[in-house]
Amino acid sequence: MKGYVIIKVKGLTLERFLNLAATNDIYLWDIKRVDYTELEMKATIEGFRALKEIVNKVGCRVEVVEKRGLPFLLYKIKHRKALGVGFILFFVIIITLSSIIWDIKVVGNEKVKTEDIIKFLEIEGIKSGIIKYKIDKDYIKHLLLNKFETFSFVSVEIKGTRLIIDIKEIELINEEIDENTPSHIVASKKGVIEKVIARNGKAVVRKGDIVEKNDILISGLISDEDSDGFILVHADGEVWAKTLYSYKIEEPIVKTIREETGRVFERKELKIGERGIQFIKGDIPFNDYVESIEEVNIFNLNIDLPLKILVHQYKEVESKEITQDIDLIKEKNHIRAVEELNKQLPPKADIISKDVKHIVNDNFVTTYVVIEVLEDIGEKRPIN
Amino acid sequence: MDKKMENIKYNISEALELPKDIVLDLPKITIIGNIQINILNHKGIIEYSQEVLRVNSNIGVIKITGNDLKLKTILSEEIIANGIIDKIEIIS
Repeated sequence: MKGYVIIKVKGLTLERFLNLAATNDIYLWDIKRVDYTELEMKATIEGFRALKEIVNKVGCRVEVVEKRGLPFLLYKIKHRKALGVGFILFFVIIITLSSIIWDIKVVGNEKVKTEDIIKFLEIEGIKSGIIKYKIDKDYIKHLLLNKFETFSFVSVEIKGTRLIIDIKEIELINEEIDENTPSHIVASKKGVIEKVIARNGKAVVRKGDIVEKNDILISGLISDEDSDGFILVHADGEVWAKTLYSYKIEEPIVKTIREETGRVFERKELKIGERGIQFIKGDIPFNDYVESIEEVNIFNLNIDLPLKILVHQYKEVESKEITQDIDLIKEKNHIRAVEELNKQLPPKADIISKDVKHIVNDNFVTTYVVIEVLEDIGEKRPIN
Repeated sequence: MDKKMENIKYNISEALELPKDIVLDLPKITIIGNIQINILNHKGIIEYSQEVLRVNSNIGVIKITGNDLKLKTILSEEIIANGIIDKIEIIS
């Protein structure tokens, strides 16, 4: 670090030179006899300056062979400004790049979407690209806890250039109402009542009644026999009703399909921030095409760099008209409709009947599928 | 007179178990295998070449013969020489 010089000393009484150097506390090392009249050695910069006096006394010649170490390097750099500037720039870039948050990772959220959290943080000014020393972890924590009520715990951590937000959500057991609060049981959807089992409270509907959504099924309001007033109770029970689920699918008989011919034309684009440079080589040689943009991951890293290479792919397509078989459409529609309905059905529901209707118009096959199910439509609601 | 003084010093160091190189002002020579030699408390170099190194000391001239001898360090108290050492002679 301190720098040293390799020197050659020429003369006749070189032993005397060494002894004098030693007694004057000049540190010399790696001394080697090259020749009968010549020594090669290493000396510190201060030592080299102090040697001059001895050299005069002994009467020999000193020659510098090489300069090594940081002070000489700095001296060289002084004359090579561009190198020095590059060196400093290198460190500045490294430090700035490593003090920027490049990636925000959200862990542990189930009910709230990651995009929503990131979008919310972005509005609050926390997004990839901000300097990590500016981040107030506690502030983010409170922000998230206040914004999203379902979060019970949030921890904010910075790991390198990544901001990790760890979330624990409250297990919401669908509005479980306390056993003691007075409540009604109301209809959660339209249906025809099939069976009413009232464990507590007074059933106000009977078999065959048609109920709309939010109609009271089992009342928590009971008339008191001793007085004329009412008692409020916590209604409990099951109300089974027939409900209908329907789904409609329309499918054209003659269909135009855009089919890819397999010919592809590519254009590359370099994007820096919001600005892009497209490298154009000729016009797109197709009349009808589909454009797809693909991002090339430059460094194989999962971070959002402001520098991007985009590849625009233009795929040639051809329009084709296909006439489909009506029976096949009917079957396909039927299957698709049942699949869609299955997603809508509550888990505890018995299917009573299924009705499928196909209507063939001039160019469309319309399929209606109606499923009748028996399900518990009761829903607890507190009495205000 | 000198001899007498030396004897007293020797006896004291024997009695008190003091290191003799300090009490008697003698050189301390340490060699590591045949590749390195340290001479503490020397009195200057007389001759140095790649084959021969002669160092002055209180007990006389220490002559080291070998190949590729290099002086690793020279301080007023200590000399360290590297190389292949063949022979060490004390010429008093």
